[in-house]
Amino acid sequence: MSVESFLFVLSGGIVLGALYALMASGLAVVWSTLGIFNFSHGAFIALGAYIGWQVSNAEALGLGHVAGLSATLVVMFAAGILFQQIFIRPFERKDNIIAATVITTLAGATILQNAMLLIWGPRAKQIVAIAEGTISIGPVAFSGNDIALIVMVALILGFAGWLLARTRTGRSMRAVAQNRQAAELMGLNVPLLYALAFGLSAAMAGMAGYFVGSIRFINPTFGADPLMKALIVVIFGGIARFTSPIYAALIVGLVESFTIFYLGLYWAPAMLFAMMTVVLTIKPSGLFGHHQRTL
Amino acid sequence: MSLLELRNLSGGYDPIQIFSHIDLTIEAGESIGFFGPNGHGKSTLMKTISGVLAPWTGDVIFDGQRMNRVGDRGSRRWRNFNYDVVTRRRMDPKTVARAGLIHVPEGNLLFPEMTVAETLAIAPIAGRGRGDEAHQLELVHALFPRLRERLKSKIRFLSGGERQMVAISVGLMGNPKLMILDEPTLGLSPKLRQELCQAVGQIKASGVPLILIDQDVTFLTELIDRLYLFDHGRISRKLEKSEIPSHDDLMAMLFGDHAA
Repeated sequence: MSVESFLFVLSGGIVLGALYALMASGLAVVWSTLGIFNFSHGAFIALGAYIGWQVSNAEALGLGHVAGLSATLVVMFAAGILFQQIFIRPFERKDNIIAATVITTLAGATILQNAMLLIWGPRAKQIVAIAEGTISIGPVAFSGNDIALIVMVALILGFAGWLLARTRTGRSMRAVAQNRQAAELMGLNVPLLYALAFGLSAAMAGMAGYFVGSIRFINPTFGADPLMKALIVVIFGGIARFTSPIYAALIVGLVESFTIFYLGLYWAPAMLFAMMTVVLTIKPSGLFGHHQRTL
Repeated sequence: MSLLELRNLSGGYDPIQIFSHIDLTIEAGESIGFFGPNGHGKSTLMKTISGVLAPWTGDVIFDGQRMNRVGDRGSRRWRNFNYDVVTRRRMDPKTVARAGLIHVPEGNLLFPEMTVAETLAIAPIAGRGRGDEAHQLELVHALFPRLRERLKSKIRFLSGGERQMVAISVGLMGNPKLMILDEPTLGLSPKLRQELCQAVGQIKASGVPLILIDQDVTFLTELIDRLYLFDHGRISRKLEKSEIPSHDDLMAMLFGDHAA
């Protein structure tokens, strides 16, 4: 293997890892705050991509990337809150919330997918590249789009991390995640914080969808594969900290990228699941995890 | 106007009723204590007053405001419906805390992954005593100088006594009009216990009335105006301060003469 192809595969892995990190962090925010696994995260990724396409693409409204990204952010945040109020809020204080929300979020995902099929039709769409051209570093040329993706994912994750660690609202969200009863006794507005956490998660999924939509074709079910990868990342890395899914996502992205190069496309999922199984056998709480369910 | 009034309050963990028909009035400025055997419902009663558990019957009236929804809990058939959608929550701990009734539960674990400083920063309740944040924080630091050195520690690394101090501090940051302290000295070493008892005394002295649960009658007697003996889910006796007997006599009163 030449240095060039090694660096090419490496950069491909980092781009994948960055996208997985964005999806998985969104998933982890909901998982750790509300204590549920959101099976509609994949549909959110697709919805974000469609909204972005609708606003940004020349064939639709044609307002460009800035408007497209902002619209995706705002609409997905609102859509997430609406979704949570309909599909999750009614079961929030039930003992069997996990079982109930597995079904309701799956139902929500199906409804969203079919709604997208109705609105945007079956033809695949693609968001135009966010940045054109290539940037050469040493012997390898990186595509401008990849660089733009990595930078923007880093900015979004940095902002989300700052929100959770430094602001009063974010800290309250972490508090609710760690001990709901104590948070209620402090007078925190738990339903509002849950809604905000879900909105944040959906906005992150939407952003991820926008970026994936600029490198792959969008169709209503295209969130399914990213959702599976995000799930692997979250389980593999654990959710002990906000950063654990990010590191895990980079590892997953690189492993996937190198597996595809050496063994072929169809070995990638097998390799990832094998890796996940080995890690969970040795460390059941995930690579960076410990027993506490938190952010 | 009385500060807290419980009228015919019953509750428990569905389907098991833990306590029933509690009537109790606390006038402004009064502090009261609860004493009784473990497992007879004191903590369950406190959780019902603060809204963590919904009352089955009766009302909780704090500072002139009714804290619960009107009426008794629905029939079993209604409870099998989804109460969040159909009947809504009968009582909300957020409303109670924001009204100024702060409950520091027994063995409060708080937020294991957050630091003491972060916890104290989110503790002041929105819309209540916001301007007093600095003042309350000063009070907390004066009360528990030990915490000042642990501000950057995560709560899961604190000792049991330090955790209890954080829990009480969090309650104080809410600028309480009445504070429920449920066995604040449970499982602490004698030295720490003394430190906490002093702090509780200072809280009372700073003008915050208390509902205090403890197993040490001497400690209770120092701080409260009235003592309620609580067993089998009922208030079995009400003792004014002057009537409170010594620990041994009280045990005899509760469990019969053979203890003495």
